[in-house]
Amino acid sequence: MEIAKQHNGNGVAEDDQVASEYLTFRLGEEEYAIDILKVQEIRGYEPPTAIAYAPPFIKGVINLRGIIVPIVDLRIKFGLGTVDYTPFTVVIILNVTQRVIGIVVDSVSDVTSLTAGQIRQAPDFSASFDTKYILGLATIDKRMLIITDIQRLMSSRDMELIDDAAEA
Amino acid sequence: MTIDMSQFYQVFFEETAEHLTAMESLLLELDIASPDSEALNAIFRAAHSIKGSSGTFGFTDLAEVTHVLENLLDRIRKNELALRNDMVDAFLDAGDVLKAMLAAHQGGAPVAEGAVAEVCANLKALTTDAVAPALSVAAVPSLPPAVLPTEEGFDIEFLPTVEATADHRALPNLLQALSSMGRLDVVAQPEAGAPGLWCLRLFTGRPQAEFEDFLAFVSETDGWRVKRIATDATDAGGAYGLFDAPDAAPVEDAYGLFEPVDGAPAASAFVVDEGDGFGFFEPLPVAPESAASPLAEVEGDGFGFFEPMPPPQASSASAVAVSPPLPAELPVVSEATSAPGAASVPAAAPEIRAKPAVVPGAEAASIRVSVERADQLINLVGELVITQAMLLQCAAQMHDAAPEALTNGLAQLERNTRGLQEAIMSIRMMPISFVFSRFPRVVRDLSSKLGKQVELKMNGETTELDKGLIERIADPLTHLIRNSLDHGVELPEKRIAAGKSPVGTITLKAAHQGGNIVIEVGDDGAGLDRQRIMSKARERGFQISDQMSDQDVWALIFEAGFSTAEVVTDVSGRGVGMDVVRRNIQAMGGRIEIESMTGVGTRMTVRLPLTLAILDGMSVAVGGHIYILPLSYVIESVQPERGDVKTLSNQTRVIQVRNEYLPVVTLHDMFRVPGAETDFTKGIMIVLDADGTKAALFVDALVGQHQVVIKSLEQNYRRVSGISGATIMGDGRVALILDVSALIELSRAAQAVAVPVTA
Repeated sequence: MEIAKQHNGNGVAEDDQVASEYLTFRLGEEEYAIDILKVQEIRGYEPPTAIAYAPPFIKGVINLRGIIVPIVDLRIKFGLGTVDYTPFTVVIILNVTQRVIGIVVDSVSDVTSLTAGQIRQAPDFSASFDTKYILGLATIDKRMLIITDIQRLMSSRDMELIDDAAEA
Repeated sequence: MTIDMSQFYQVFFEETAEHLTAMESLLLELDIASPDSEALNAIFRAAHSIKGSSGTFGFTDLAEVTHVLENLLDRIRKNELALRNDMVDAFLDAGDVLKAMLAAHQGGAPVAEGAVAEVCANLKALTTDAVAPALSVAAVPSLPPAVLPTEEGFDIEFLPTVEATADHRALPNLLQALSSMGRLDVVAQPEAGAPGLWCLRLFTGRPQAEFEDFLAFVSETDGWRVKRIATDATDAGGAYGLFDAPDAAPVEDAYGLFEPVDGAPAASAFVVDEGDGFGFFEPLPVAPESAASPLAEVEGDGFGFFEPMPPPQASSASAVAVSPPLPAELPVVSEATSAPGAASVPAAAPEIRAKPAVVPGAEAASIRVSVERADQLINLVGELVITQAMLLQCAAQMHDAAPEALTNGLAQLERNTRGLQEAIMSIRMMPISFVFSRFPRVVRDLSSKLGKQVELKMNGETTELDKGLIERIADPLTHLIRNSLDHGVELPEKRIAAGKSPVGTITLKAAHQGGNIVIEVGDDGAGLDRQRIMSKARERGFQISDQMSDQDVWALIFEAGFSTAEVVTDVSGRGVGMDVVRRNIQAMGGRIEIESMTGVGTRMTVRLPLTLAILDGMSVAVGGHIYILPLSYVIESVQPERGDVKTLSNQTRVIQVRNEYLPVVTLHDMFRVPGAETDFTKGIMIVLDADGTKAALFVDALVGQHQVVIKSLEQNYRRVSGISGATIMGDGRVALILDVSALIELSRAAQAVAVPVTA
C-alpha cells in the first residue's frame, strides 16, 4: 500500500533516486516484478494436497517445515503460460500480511534494482490483469517489467485466499 | 533504590492472583465452628504476602485493603474473636475487590471507589466489634486495642551451659518446649554448636515461672534472665514499615526491606513470607533508635542492644566474654500482639527452621514459562516427530540396503522423539483443580441467594488436562453447576417432603478415560421432567414424538432458547446457556451427555480430548487423497452389501444400520474428488455421530489410526466448510481433518435430508 502511494502519487522528485529491489518472474511471455521484501524463499514444486471447494488456481496446501501453506498457480489465475508441472516448476513463497502463500510461476528471472524514476505509470487498461494491482511498468534491457503490488493482489477477494478479504 | 520495579510487575500480578485464589479456597474450606488454626494462618500469610508485595511495588490501594483485611484476620487467628459467617463473607468480598483492583492495575476497568470503601468499612466494623469485648477485660487500660491482655510478651536471654551447647538436642528441645506455650521468636542466637548468648521472645498466656524452669535447666547458673515486655503497638508500628498504614495495628508493618529488629511478634509467622522475596535483608540484630526511644519511656530503663550487660555472675563471665556485647535489657517489643492459641505455634515454629531449606527448594521446584514458549517447544517437537517419521520411511524404502547402524539409530531416535514429545506435551498439562477451585465459591454464593442448602463434593481434582482446555472448560462447567443448583437441587422444604436430606449434594468429578478426560456434574435433585420438556418443546415448535428415548428428550435442553424454569431468575432460566455450553464443548472436540432419573438426580457428563493440539484420528482414503476423521465421532464402519443403500425420492441416499436408517454422506461428492470409488459395495461406510445426529460417511477405504498434530488451515488460508484443520502425515504431506458436524450439515443442506427416522 505504501509503495502504491509512493509510486502512483505525486511524490516523484525525492523518490526518483531511491532504488528498491524487485524479484522478476515470467508468466508466459510477460515478465512481472514484485517487491523482494515480500519474498520468503523460492523452492521447487511439489504436489500439494487439494482442498475442497477451492477455485482451480488454488492447487492446494503444502507442508512448509510444519506450516500449512496454500499454493496459487498464477498461470491458471491469469491464463498465461503453459500449465504443466515439471521438476523445474518454481514456487515463490511470499510473506504478505503475516501470511505465507506460495505462487507457481513459469520461471524466476532475476533480482533487479529499480528507482521510482524508472517506473512509468501503466495505461489504464489491461487484458488479463486488473490494473489496480499494477504499480507501474519499467523497462530494463528492452524487457518490460510489470511491477505488481503482490500484497494487495494476494489479499484481494479475487484470490479467495482470505476469509474476509477486503474488496481491493 | 534504583531498581526498576516495573520489570517485576508481571510476577507480582501472577503471585498476587495466586495468593488471592489460595486465600479464597482456604476461606471456603474453613469450618466456621472450629476453624483450623493452620488454615487461618495460611489465609493470614496469603493476605500478608499480598500486602507486603503490593506495598513494595507501590500498589498502595491494594495494600490498604489488605491491611484492613489482615487486621480482622489477625484477631481471628489469635482467637481474640470467633469466626463468624459474615466475616467469611466479608473476606470473600474483600478478595473480590482485590481481584478487581489487580485487574485494574493490569489495564482492566477501574474499581468503583464505593466498593472498596464499603468492603473496608465492613471489615473495620467487624474488627472493632471484636475488639470491644477484649478491651473491657483489658488488664492495662492504656493498652491499644491490639493487645490481648491475658497474654504477655517476655524477652528471654540465656547462656546455655557448655554441655547443653554440645548436646545438639538440648536447645531445639528447649525451643520446642517454649514454642508450645505460645509464640516464640528467636531474636539472636550463636552459631550452631558455638557457645553464645541466645535472645528469644516469647508471647504466652502462661506464667513466667513455667518456662523459667526450662531455662534454668539448660543455662549456666544464673546465666539467664526474663524480662516482661512493655507493649506498645502504635508507636513502633509506624516506625518500621515501608509505608504507614492509616491505623496502626499489630503486625502491620513487620516487613519491609529490613526486618525490624524487634522482630515484631508476628515475625515467626511471617518468615515464610519474607522468603517469598520481599525481605531483601535478613533480620538485623540492631534496633533502630527511633523505635527504641518511645518505648524507653514506657520501660523506664535502657534497652539498647549495645548497652553492656550488668556484670554477669562469675560462673558465666568467661563465656560472656567471647560473646557479643550483651544488652542490658532485651530490645522491647514494639507490638505486644498476643500469642495465638498453642495450636498455631507449632505451625509457626517449623517454618523458622525450614526457612533456609525451603527457599532454594521452592525455586527449583517450578519455573514460570510463558505459554508461547511452551507452545513453541510443542511445535518444534511436532516437526521433529514428522522429520523422524520421514527418515524412518526413507530407511524402510531402502529395504535390506539400509545399514544396520542406520536402522538401529533410527529406532533409537523414534523412541527418543516419542519420549520427548510426551514430556513436552506434559508441560501444558495442568490439574483441573485450577478450574474446580472456583466452584465452592460459586456454590456458596448461589445457594445462599437461592435459599438452598447445597454441599459440593469434588473428586479427581488432580486430573490433568491441557492448559488451553482448562481455560475454555471453566465457563461451560460453571454454567452446568449453576444449572444444577438452580434447576436440579430443590428447596430444603421440598427435599424434606420428598424424604431426602435438606442438604442437596452436587458432585463434581474428573477422571481420565482412555484418551479422554471425563468431567461429571451430578446432583441429587429432582431430575429432569420429561413431560415438561416435551410440552415445552412442543410449545417451541420442535419436532418431537412421544416415542422419543429419554436420551433424545434430555438432549432437547441443549436446543437454543429452551428453558423449563418456571420463573426466570438471574441465575438461569433465560434459555441461553445450555446450547452455548454444548457448542463450547463441541468446539473443544468434546461432547456432553445427560442422564437423569426423576426424584433421584441428574448427571451431566462432559467428555473432552486431553489436549487441543493432538487429535486421535482415523485416516480414510478418497480418490487418492487422505482425510482424517476425529475418532471421537466414529462409531463403527460397515461394508455395504448390494442393495443396502436406498434412495428417498430418488435423491437422498439412506442406509440401514442396526435398525436405523442413516443418511449417506458421500465424501467424494461433497468435496468433488475425482477418481474416487463410486460403487458402494467396494467402499466402506463409516457411521458417525455428531451431537446426536448420525450419518454414514462413504469413503474408498480405511487407512489407519493415528494421533495427529492439529495445524491451522486458516493461518495462511481461509476457512473451508467441512474441514476443521490440517495435519502433516508421516511422509510430510498434508492431510485435511474433516469437520464431521459441518459435513453432516452440509450434506443435509445439499440434499434436504429428513431427520433419520427411527425404525
